[in-house]
Amino acid sequence: MKYISFIATFIFTGSLFLGSLAHAADVELLQKSKQFSQKALKIKVGDSVNFKNEDPFFHNVFSLSEAKTFDLGSYPQGQFKKVTFDKPGTIEVECAIHPEMKMTIEVTK
Amino acid sequence: MRILSALVVAIGMAVVATAAMADPEEQWPRKDSLEAKVYRGSIVFTHYCSLCHGVTAEGNGRAARLYTPRPANLVLSEKNDAYKELIIRRGGEAMGRSQFMPPWGKELTDEQIADVIAYLHSINRYKEEKPEKTE
Repeated sequence: MKYISFIATFIFTGSLFLGSLAHAADVELLQKSKQFSQKALKIKVGDSVNFKNEDPFFHNVFSLSEAKTFDLGSYPQGQFKKVTFDKPGTIEVECAIHPEMKMTIEVTK
Repeated sequence: MRILSALVVAIGMAVVATAAMADPEEQWPRKDSLEAKVYRGSIVFTHYCSLCHGVTAEGNGRAARLYTPRPANLVLSEKNDAYKELIIRRGGEAMGRSQFMPPWGKELTDEQIADVIAYLHSINRYKEEKPEKTE
């Protein structure tokens, strides 16, 4: 009996997890002309953002915000890097190479 | 008396005119002087480098907590100017150091790179303190 309830729980949890993944969105955000293509972006928990460099020089993407702290390093034109936002909150995103480049991502439940 | 005052006025005007025509490049500090380089370098450093290396260049910038190992303490750095120029131009990864140190070669001008190296040289205390391990 214990074995059956364990399997049921496993299947239920797994389906919830897969269900949440099915609804997660991928948003593309460009870095072009030393600017982020959007100054403010609203997404849901579980969504991902692809930061794509479209400038002919290196860009970097990082955040020191509590809701999501990360540094994607520096990468050249044509490349992108992906971040999945797993907690709600407001995230300030910056470029370490171009201090004037800033944008905000609001992640809601 | 009139002749004397006219002479004084003429000399005064000549002095003012000479000063106005002076080459700005000759004024202190000269653009290529060490003082000017260090000053310009401090501005470049604050704008581009202090995020990680800190305002005081001791490796304690506001983003420093993201990285292990921490950004280099440039006040106590034992690296010479040539090495610093290479890592600034090529970035950390190309030099076998942190992948998070960006390559600045296409972002900064040659003058800005030379200026920031002059600034770092001016604040370096490695020879005075010689710690066992700085980076």
